[in-house]
Amino acid sequence: MREFSKGQKIKVKSGGELEVIEKLGEGGQGIVYRVSYNGKEYALKWYFVNKLKDHKRFYMNIENNIRKGAPTSAFLWPVEITEYFEGSFGYLMRLRPKEYEDFSKFLRAKVHFSGINAVINAALQITTGFRVLHNKGFSYQDLNDGNFFVNADTGDVLICDNDNVAEYGKAFGIAGKCRYMAPEVVTGKKKPDIHTDRFSLAVVLYMLIFVNHPLEGERTLKSPCLTEELERKFYGIEPVFVFDKNNPQNRPVENLHRNEIKLWSLYPDFVKEAFQEAFSRESMIGNNIEHRVTEKKWQEIFIKLRDCLAECPSCNNETFLNLSQPESKCICCGKVITNPFVLKVKKNEIALMPSKKIYACHVIYDSEDYNQAMGEVVLSRSVPAVAGLKNNSGRAWTAVASNGVSKSYESGQVIKLMKGLKIRFGNDNDGEIL
Amino acid sequence: MGLYDETVEVPRRTMVLFFVVDTSGSMNGSKIGTVNSAIEDIIPEIADISDSNADAQIKIAALQFSTGAKWLDSQPVSAENFVWNYLDASGVTDLGEACLQLNEKLSRTAFMNDATGSFAPAIFLMSDGEPTDNYRYGLDKLKQNNWFRKAIKVAIAIGEDANKNVLAEFAGNSEAVIDVTSPKELRKWIQFVTVRASEIGSKSSNAGSNSDSGSNEIETKQDIMIQEIQSQKDDIEWKEENPFEDDDSLQW
Ligand SMILES: Nc1ncnc2c1ncn2[C@@H]1O[C@H](COP(=O)(O)OP(=O)(O)OP(=O)(O)O)[C@@H](O)[C@H]1O
Ligand SMILES: [Mg+2]
Ligand SMILES: [Zn+2]
Repeated sequence: MREFSKGQKIKVKSGGELEVIEKLGEGGQGIVYRVSYNGKEYALKWYFVNKLKDHKRFYMNIENNIRKGAPTSAFLWPVEITEYFEGSFGYLMRLRPKEYEDFSKFLRAKVHFSGINAVINAALQITTGFRVLHNKGFSYQDLNDGNFFVNADTGDVLICDNDNVAEYGKAFGIAGKCRYMAPEVVTGKKKPDIHTDRFSLAVVLYMLIFVNHPLEGERTLKSPCLTEELERKFYGIEPVFVFDKNNPQNRPVENLHRNEIKLWSLYPDFVKEAFQEAFSRESMIGNNIEHRVTEKKWQEIFIKLRDCLAECPSCNNETFLNLSQPESKCICCGKVITNPFVLKVKKNEIALMPSKKIYACHVIYDSEDYNQAMGEVVLSRSVPAVAGLKNNSGRAWTAVASNGVSKSYESGQVIKLMKGLKIRFGNDNDGEIL
Repeated sequence: MGLYDETVEVPRRTMVLFFVVDTSGSMNGSKIGTVNSAIEDIIPEIADISDSNADAQIKIAALQFSTGAKWLDSQPVSAENFVWNYLDASGVTDLGEACLQLNEKLSRTAFMNDATGSFAPAIFLMSDGEPTDNYRYGLDKLKQNNWFRKAIKVAIAIGEDANKNVLAEFAGNSEAVIDVTSPKELRKWIQFVTVRASEIGSKSSNAGSNSDSGSNEIETKQDIMIQEIQSQKDDIEWKEENPFEDDDSLQW
């Protein structure tokens, strides 16, 4: 198949023509071009049609995905498909903005996250993307380090390569990487589906947070030559998590797996326990492979993690507060931090440090939206030692003091924080300051 | 300072790409000239593949054989730092000696010594003639070597005089042998094989997950390489027949 040059015109199925501007890159399945169509710029993925097992079915699947629409804006979803041209075809998607980097660059330490907050945001966005995708009846099928772009500053994520995405029960023979596949897919026992996606999601989340591979440690390093048979063993038949609770065979190796050794020691237990569950023998190759950690559970974990993230008053770095104790130790400088007021609402506990935000998922009784800020901790301008919670929710909150006296606070007003204060956010969703 | 400022790269395995080049007298002229420039020009692309690959880095080792055989570097060199030194052609075709040298270096105590481990190598042989030494001894020995057995192996037979049976024995399969008759074809194939063998060899495989369930045969990287060569052969033939091929470059 020839490569297109600038000016090449190709008919788009829904009408009109696209025009090729330049080649952006090439992958296993095709070439990606920058093109213009209807006065706007897009990315065009053009297939090597001989690399597709059943190109007619593939074409129809993309058409179907276009019809159904992107699950969330994090997906670089197909928006238009071309007509067949010189025996092949392609689809149009949004161009990736340049501040988004390949995830593989983070793994290669060429790009670094700005901090924990960005990492948590990335984890939340990937998790939510998959949750919505799965709720719409799709499975992704081929998640790996080449499938998403991340903004290192903010943690915003774009998920690409959505052409393998298929509705439940359908699967394309995909030539993924076993490093990211569920064990039962590696061994050929199952075709990719929602459950196998959940495994791949856990791998990606682990790599995002701990910047090493969850199944690569002492045991896998012992083999000088990683043949396809050994890959099948390490990722399919007998995978062992590096921090497995019961099996110490595959621990991280000092000086080599440096990131996870350091980071694992700093993250709160509830995060580590979730990964230990996700990569337990049971969840990998045992009886729980259809009951893996769900996106909803990951979402709760990362919201909880964000809720206890705070800036250390001594060194100004990000740290986690242990809210079950009166004080915490900074993960960076080691100094003791007296825990601030804590807002307990629904199942959440939020460390109310200055500038901490609370979100719709906290204050609105039936919301899971962790993106929309609804309140923020501010310091009094007249008495800087006094902290308050500013209502930015657009509706009134009622504060009830421990002696029963209550007062209503409109949006824009600030509630002075006091121990024992109750805040009524509405619809029987009550919070308490601890 | 952020917690993630100091992350180091996730350990990558190493995949060594071997060029084994016949530099006997018969290669003199346009054959060796094409080999030199085709490899030189494709190295930056290999460096890019290595650079953006979180699974493995690519290193390159080159062995030339004519009267005797000689490594161009004392250790495999990372693709980013590798420079192709132009080879000259003269002498006989000691393929057996090349096999012995390759066998010696395909060992954990020689070239395959990375602390983070390796993927099986990719070995790319180019020759235009008939071995002149006792190649049987060397080749048999090499075929016992486990690294060699697991490797992606491709051979290019340059011109009519190449002994394709020997090359097929080296590559393990006649489908992994590519016949070329023109410098244009030679260049295209060298670059194609170099790129695809590097990509396939340096990435975490699908570990046979696409193989028919029930069978214990794992589709290997070598199988995938051979499929790609077959489909490229079809494609190139199609291209060669296409009378409109040069349309792109014409300005109207
Ligand atoms: N929407 C996009 N905007 C800008 N660049 C893109 C876009 N999608 C892909 N690219 C770039 O195009 C190149 C090829 O992408 P593509 O997804 O086809 O290949 P790949 O991920 O390397 O391989 P594979 O086809 O095996 O998934 C990559 O370098 C990628 O960064
Ligand atoms: Mg891709
Ligand atoms: Zn500190």
